[in-house]
Amino acid sequence: MADKKVVMITGASGGLGKGLALACAEQGWSVWVAARRESEGNKVAAQIEHSGGAARFVHCDAGDPHSVDTAVATILAAESRLDGLVHNATSGLSPRPGRVSELSLNDFRDHVTVSLRGSYLLARAAFEPLQSSQGALVLLSSEAGFEGKARLPAYAAVKAAQRGFARSLAREWGNCGIRVNCLAPLASTEAMEDAFRRDPEMEQRVMARHPMQRLGDSVKDIGPAVCFLLSQNSRYITGHTLMVDGGSCPVT
Amino acid sequence: MSKVKTLLIGSNTEPVATLGAELKANRHTIPSLAGIENDSWPWADALQQWRETVAGGEQADRIVVMIWPDHGHKTPCSDTDFLAWSRRAEAPLAQWFAALGCAQQLCSDGGSVVALVERPAPLDSTGRAPEVAVAEGVVALVRSLAKSEGARGARFNAVTTPLRLSPEKLVNPAPALASYPGQLLREVIGSVRMMLGDDSCGVTGSVVHADCGRSW
Repeated sequence: MADKKVVMITGASGGLGKGLALACAEQGWSVWVAARRESEGNKVAAQIEHSGGAARFVHCDAGDPHSVDTAVATILAAESRLDGLVHNATSGLSPRPGRVSELSLNDFRDHVTVSLRGSYLLARAAFEPLQSSQGALVLLSSEAGFEGKARLPAYAAVKAAQRGFARSLAREWGNCGIRVNCLAPLASTEAMEDAFRRDPEMEQRVMARHPMQRLGDSVKDIGPAVCFLLSQNSRYITGHTLMVDGGSCPVT
Repeated sequence: MSKVKTLLIGSNTEPVATLGAELKANRHTIPSLAGIENDSWPWADALQQWRETVAGGEQADRIVVMIWPDHGHKTPCSDTDFLAWSRRAEAPLAQWFAALGCAQQLCSDGGSVVALVERPAPLDSTGRAPEVAVAEGVVALVRSLAKSEGARGARFNAVTTPLRLSPEKLVNPAPALASYPGQLLREVIGSVRMMLGDDSCGVTGSVVHADCGRSW
């Protein structure tokens, strides 16, 4: 695995993160499946290995400082490099609908901890190895972070906060050779299906404004865009949010 | 139910008091939050209780939300320790969430809410990643509320200012207006009044950067 470029992907034990892991492996990256769920994470790594790719699981709770530091240290101990970091993990409460006044502070804390604190902790832990490799940090945001969501305000808030964090960090890290970008996907995932179940009218709302009339595939539609932001093909792009949503979001 | 004309929900800091006095607003002061010693929010329950108490109060036609804590010095992300991060990012964002939740419940039908947010201009945001994150998060909350409360005629907008977050040395080019970063009781309050008042009755979910042309 030493000759391959190394990427760590959080929340990669399922859903969109799994798709990103598969896509990165297909493009030749050595993938570290970073997640809390060891069994599912190992399955993703095994699937990649079975297909001829390179992947390993590393335990990572994105909102826990010690866990993040340990995960990055584990990867460095094994690979001696880290070229890319993708923060995809989100709160398990993300699909749960409710107006601002209906959500508790403890619910909001969960959103903040995984998405926003995770962005900070991962950035801090990966700064030196990414500087050494002249690598890239990619944060998974959402169209919700542009336009807000009436029924998912906490999710929208942390996704927007990640965009602001990335934009500032891009300015800070630019002269260190590290690029920082966001990607705002619209993909068919377990979380999206869960959101549709909880809010049956949501699917109709999503499709009614979607030019392409379909949700993205995490491997074929979203994965290549993440690989692009990780690669030298995007070497002059930083501080950007790339919409990969089939033209769904009317705000750019 | 009797209504107060203008309500200000905000921090217990001098700029908030100044704006409140100028707007002749009734005030709700949000509790200051101590730093986070571990990975939890020890103040979450107290903040939740404050929110529930305040939200049960009198409704208002015009509400300004202004969470302006004392900011720390700007620092590179890699040099920002967890406690500083929590104090600069997580605690203010939680306060905004609680305060905007109150505003949602206290705003009368057809009323107007303005979130007055501190936000460094993108050009000057180096070392201010926590504050920029909070500002963008607040804007998304405001847009979410604009959508959820629009059916009852309630409007939610944001005004941003770099007033206390502007660095001593600015990145070139210079701001468009020489008055940058502006003054709270001149450039900023004018934008707040405009977004609160009936002249902006068709505007909701919008952001006005009252920063003398530093953002675009």
